[in-house]
Order: sequence, then structure tokens, then C-alpha cells
Amino acid sequence: MLLIKLWNYLRGYVIIKISGEYCERLLNQAALNGLYLWDITKPENNVLFAKIGIKDFTRLARFAKKTGCRLVIVGRAGLFFSILKLKKRKILLTGAALFILAVYLLSSLVWGIEVKTDDNKLKSSIKRDLMNWGIKKGTFKHRIDKEYYLDKILIKYKEIAWAELQIKGSQVIVELVKKQMPPELEQNEPCDIIASKDGIIEEILPFKGEAMVKPGDTVSRGDIIISGRLTLKSNDLDEEKKEEQQEVLVHAKGIVRARVWYQKVVKVPLVKKEKFPTGNTKKAYRINVGNRALRFQLGAIPYSLYDKKVTRKIQLLPKIFGDVGLSSITYIELEEKERFIGMKEAIKQAEEQLEQEVNKLESDAKINKRSIDFTLDNDKKHVIGSLTLEVLEDIGLQRQIK
Amino acid sequence: MKEEFKQKISDALDLPKDIVLDLSRIIITGKISIFLENHKGIIEYSKDLVRIKTTSGVVAIKGKGLVIKSIIVDEITVEGKLETIEFED
Repeated sequence: MLLIKLWNYLRGYVIIKISGEYCERLLNQAALNGLYLWDITKPENNVLFAKIGIKDFTRLARFAKKTGCRLVIVGRAGLFFSILKLKKRKILLTGAALFILAVYLLSSLVWGIEVKTDDNKLKSSIKRDLMNWGIKKGTFKHRIDKEYYLDKILIKYKEIAWAELQIKGSQVIVELVKKQMPPELEQNEPCDIIASKDGIIEEILPFKGEAMVKPGDTVSRGDIIISGRLTLKSNDLDEEKKEEQQEVLVHAKGIVRARVWYQKVVKVPLVKKEKFPTGNTKKAYRINVGNRALRFQLGAIPYSLYDKKVTRKIQLLPKIFGDVGLSSITYIELEEKERFIGMKEAIKQAEEQLEQEVNKLESDAKINKRSIDFTLDNDKKHVIGSLTLEVLEDIGLQRQIK
Repeated sequence: MKEEFKQKISDALDLPKDIVLDLSRIIITGKISIFLENHKGIIEYSKDLVRIKTTSGVVAIKGKGLVIKSIIVDEITVEGKLETIEFED
């Protein structure tokens, strides 16, 4: 009953006055023919008041003629009539529309900027910069290009490792993580130069400080090559003073070139697994709302091995209403096939991989000698390529003296 | 004869009588509301008396300020201050 009443309220109903001698007969007729009447009252003889949906009313009028009753509409109610009434009150409607518009407009403006970091100096600096770049109170939040501002922040502040810009309601929130920068030594800070790698010293040119090794010496990682600790030999013959040799700490500087060896081993299988498309595909669709994705497809993906291809993206709504897009995904079934590639091919591939390793070396390194060996693995399924490089490079590294 | 037979069957098989015998079912809520299922129409209606035809005679509801809350093909709800309910043959 509630549902019927609600339905009638939505469609609109009329309050009618039925007058006539056989009102009850009209009620029975209406009930028999499936018309729904409710809240029937009889305040006096031969007069009935009832409520009926507007659609049913026209049908009831026909029965009324038959039974000799008179129908008069006393009142109208329901949503349908409320809307009709509202249509006449244009000022009220425009007021309501303006109110909604105002709320929408105000909520799409930026009202506050927050930078989440412990560093107060950085916080105020970023806030000031954002203000200069265009994010301030009253900016439209839909116009803010997050990537653009993040890039700007990251470019300007080298000490920031990671940053995120979020817009929550009317707040712009910038989250930061600061980099831990290695302390750079000041020009005059006393330091040693140590070996960063194992190797044999080829050439040593101390500009400042005292060389501890000669060319041809073997050094291992961490050894002091140029010391910043200079001992002054005093000419004083005084015994006591000779004991306490004077030490001067300097900022050691110099070039240390050493021969360093690198070794790299790669394993290439003789039998290669390759993936080929079988020609079977399956389509699915995805709706993106902002960062969330809703995917729908018929059935599960019937392939054990497949490749996914997002074909296209259609913007469903204008940008201001949020990023709503539709993209179709094609799943391509793949098949794995084994292929014997042979020794020659395997060696070629191993060489290519080793070549890439060589390219990873620092640019100022000079390759002295290189040798590549290929052997067959014990199980005869792989080719092992080993590369030995002899490189001449600067291995000097500054270390502070404590 | 036929009615008695039907009643016996419904007794024996424990079937609901209102369905087997085509009787009306009346639900009374306190003193304020009466719900009548399977009626054959209203005979008389005023704010003090409602008479409803059923298969087993006329049900007369007496009270004050009676209102037919709703009426459809075989259901009637009457609300108001109920006083007596009579079954007339």
C-alpha cells in the first residue's frame, strides 16, 4: 500500500467530492474495475470525499455517469501539481538554481594551500612559489594541472625526493619527502683521497697532500692513496720538540688513475621460448572515473597466456565534470613455441648482452684490454659468455678526516 | 450439503478454510482498524456504519468517524473508532 501511495504521490492525485444517492455503488464499481481509491470519508449524507490518482480519475468519471453521481474536484496534491505550482513561482526557482550554482562555484575554488613537511622554511617557500605560479585562494581547482606544478616544484627544489599534489575538497595539499643529500665537502675541509675500487695504480698526480702509493702498487678499496695529513719535519734539534711532530691537515687533491678489472658472465639458453599470437582475441571495456577504473567483460579471459592492448580512449564527459573515459581492451592470445637457435646465434646474443655491460661503464673510463670467452654449459643447454675488461679509470674518492 | 463436505475436507487435510470455503478473512487491529479480505462490495457507508457484503452474509461495522482507508477489488480497510462488529445473515 505504501508503494501505491508513493506512486500516486509522484504522479499526483486529486481530492474529489462525490455526491449522489448511490455513492456506495460507485465505490464498488471502481473497486471492481481496478481503480484505487483511498481515504474515503462521508461527513454527511449523500456526500463522499475520496482521493484518487489523476489517471484513474478520468475513468471514474465514466462510472459516475452510469451510477448517477456527481464528481467535483476539491483539491490537487502530489509532486506533479507541486511542480506545476512551482512553475509559477519563477523567482523562487531562479533563487534555488542560483544557490546551487553558487555552492558549486564556491566549492570548485581553492580556499587553502597546505604543504606537508616539517621544514618550516621550505613550507613557506613552496607556498610563496605556488602563489606566484598561480595557485592561490580563488583559483579554479579544475584548471590546476597537477603534473605541471609538481614538475615545477621538483625542478626548483633539488632537495625534494618525492612530491605529490592532491586536491581534496577546496584544499590543495602538497606532500613532500626530502632527499638525504650526502654532505659535500667544503673546499678547505681536510680530507684524504681513498680508493673507490680495487686496482693497480697506473698514474698518480697529487696536487695537494702526500701520495701514499707509487705507480705499480696494488690498492684495495678503502686504502688511502693521497693523505691530507702532512707531517712537518722540524729542523729543530730539540729532542722534546722532535717528539711532537707537527701535523697539518689539508684538503687532499689529485688524480689517481688505476687499472681496474671487471668481469661479467652471461648465460644464454640454446633453446629459446618465443611468444606468438594465435589470432584469437577477446574484447573488454573499461570506464575510468578519475583514477578509478571499472572493467566489464563477458566471462573470464579464456587464455592462459595473453597480451593486453588498450585500444582507444573516449572522453565521455567534458573535463570539468571529472575525467570520465571509456576505453576498450583487447586481449590477444599468445602461444609459446620453443626454438633451437644454435651455437652461433647464442654466442651472438651473449655478445650483445656483454656489450651492454660495457656501455654501462663510466664515460671517462678507458678500456685497456678486453677478452670474451664462450663455453658450453655442463648440461649443454646454455652458452656461457664471460667478459673480462681491463679499464683505466679514476678511482679517487674524497673522505673527510675526523 | 456441499458446504459441509468442503468443511470436512478442509478439516481433514488442515487446509486454510478461507480459501477452500471462499470465506472472507477479517483482521481487527485494536479498536482502530479493520481489514477485510475477499469482500463482495459495500452496501452502505456512513461515518457511523459500514456494511460490507461477503460470501457469508453482511458484516456491519459500527463506530464513530469511520473512514474507508482504501478499497480495491477484494480488500477493504476501514479505520475509525470501532464499537461493534455484527454478522447479519
